[in-house]
Amino acid sequence: MTPRSLLWLAIGLVVWAVLPFVVPRYIADLLVFTGIYTVAGLGIGLLLGHCGIVNLAQATFYGLGAYASAYCTVMMGLPSIVGFFVGAAISMTLAYVIGRPILRLTGYFLALGTLALSAIASALFFEWDWLTGGTLGIGGIPKLDLFGFLLDRPSRYYFFVWIVAFACMAVARNLVDSRTGLMLRAMRDSSTAAAALSIDLQALRTKVFVVCALFGSLAGSLFAHHASFVSTQSFTVDRSISFLLIPVIGGATSIPGIVVGALFVTFLPELLSKLGDIHQILFGLALVSVVVLMPEGLVGAFGKLRARLTKRSSGHG
Amino acid sequence: MSLSSLISKLAGATALVGLSALGVQAQTSGEPVKIGAIVSVTGAGAGLGVPERNGLLLAEKDINAKGGIKGRPIKFIIEDDASNPDTALSKANDLIFGQKVQALLGPSLTASTVAVGGVTHANKIPQIAFTGIGPAVERERKCVAHVLPPQRLNATALLEYAKSINANKIGVLHDAGYGNVVMAELRPLADKYGVKLVAVEKFEIGATDTTTQAAKVKASQPDAVFIIATSATPFRNVKQIQITQPVVAAIGSSSYEYVNAMGPAADNIVIPEFVVGEDPLPHQKAFVELYKQTYNSTPKNYEAAAWDAAHIIAAALNKAGADATGEKLCEAMKAPYSGVLANYDFSADDMTGIPISSFIFSKLVGGKYTRTPFRVTQ
Repeated sequence: MTPRSLLWLAIGLVVWAVLPFVVPRYIADLLVFTGIYTVAGLGIGLLLGHCGIVNLAQATFYGLGAYASAYCTVMMGLPSIVGFFVGAAISMTLAYVIGRPILRLTGYFLALGTLALSAIASALFFEWDWLTGGTLGIGGIPKLDLFGFLLDRPSRYYFFVWIVAFACMAVARNLVDSRTGLMLRAMRDSSTAAAALSIDLQALRTKVFVVCALFGSLAGSLFAHHASFVSTQSFTVDRSISFLLIPVIGGATSIPGIVVGALFVTFLPELLSKLGDIHQILFGLALVSVVVLMPEGLVGAFGKLRARLTKRSSGHG
Repeated sequence: MSLSSLISKLAGATALVGLSALGVQAQTSGEPVKIGAIVSVTGAGAGLGVPERNGLLLAEKDINAKGGIKGRPIKFIIEDDASNPDTALSKANDLIFGQKVQALLGPSLTASTVAVGGVTHANKIPQIAFTGIGPAVERERKCVAHVLPPQRLNATALLEYAKSINANKIGVLHDAGYGNVVMAELRPLADKYGVKLVAVEKFEIGATDTTTQAAKVKASQPDAVFIIATSATPFRNVKQIQITQPVVAAIGSSSYEYVNAMGPAADNIVIPEFVVGEDPLPHQKAFVELYKQTYNSTPKNYEAAAWDAAHIIAAALNKAGADATGEKLCEAMKAPYSGVLANYDFSADDMTGIPISSFIFSKLVGGKYTRTPFRVTQ
């Protein structure tokens, strides 16, 4: 690492650490949501950017994590950490069991398969009201308590959420840079060639799908302890779509791009809502503009712009 | 022009003149008293949020015309939660900690209410929700009042009407959301009323065809049919397969939006509710007239609920002081209040205190509401 990039890292860290104390509480709250969405979006980014798989089922795993945390803490009175583990275990098992058959599909068919999974799960969250509370949901989920330090406000929870998010980013980075990451790229660029090199495509895709489910579930548990309340309305197909938007907008192959995408889907609707009832139309327009004008996402477009500027300045020099 | 319409026009004009005269007399001045409001103006709950916003804006004008809060104007800062509990939570944080509102009105949906209640309860901010009390946790939140009846009361009203027409065998068509919640309360109550639920058919939220479920209800030969949903579809299907038994519907499908979508099926349906704009009760007349003049449309329950919530918080502020918030304002709120929608008592266990006698039973005839003489006494 060059001294210059070290300096930037240090500045970034200071800004990150100071931010929740200087911004108003509702901005801190949105930053918490950004962290939660980053965790969920990372999984989708891995699948989309490195396997070429469109996953429209992330709200399912997000919901499983949230309900596991809600049920374990409120209904059974267990410690919060149990909810995190139970949610992760159920999500990963489900992802494995369902992933094995549906990941044999490719392209649009696979996207539709995951969409169906999300629709089924959303209906079950509604129907199994003995478990999920149905429309009324489950309220009164306790705030997380970290060694006697209660994370009861956004400025405190922010640190916990973002440390989890950074850990997940590290895991994702590790996965991408590892041998598995090389295999993934080979599979994305030419699955036939990858299969000819004796890469087990099926196992590889399932592995990433399980990691994606783990991230989704973690995000769900984090959400449950932040909102103190879970209901079916937070885990619909719409939520799956907004999770998919995160890597699409930010840039699917870039890990910082996921953070940019998460910032986009949390902050932009908030800013636009000040403009009145047409805010949802404006958000749609912004979305279409990014997808059409910047196919590689915001981070991709920024990279291109920088490259062009550097070229121009070196050309002049 | 008939005599009655001339009189009603004159009455309307008098009300308007009276209001503007009050406005001249009671000029408000000073720093506005800020009250936050969260409604679902977009998304699935827009059918509730839009009328609620209209009710709030009308109430704001009315309260200020009558002198505001001890001479200071009241200001409602209205935010849209897009029918999403996560957004409602962010909006609540902004209103309470960013804009420093003294109390919060709304949200429109149960899920959002429970989510927002977590913040208002923890920070002792008085809240009046436009929903009935929801899951168990809401009973602990003694500063979150509700201006709509709990679902148990809605279920009771349906059964009271069934009893009055001697319907002992009931077929139910309900959706998986709102319908499910009311059904959970209706099942145990049915036994108490000696009513047998001969068919209970559920359909998905947003279903575009419920003919199969309606046919099963018809086959069970009930004395009456209950429809508990937020949709016009089951009403159309019930007419299509020619169910001739009386149809009683829960308040959820009472808005004009649904009635218009029912088309010719909006006939001969009884709904236990609160406000019939076409034929208001004496204490509702002034509100209905003012609403009609301002918006050129007839108000229903949700407009009145928001109007009431606004006036309740104004009354509490006038009692506790214009700068009151927290427990002081909350205590001032906990008193009986005779509203347009109903008579409330927020010191009641369900944080609503609406008596069953507040219900009126309206009947849809050719797409228009009429008020039936039937009422339930306590």
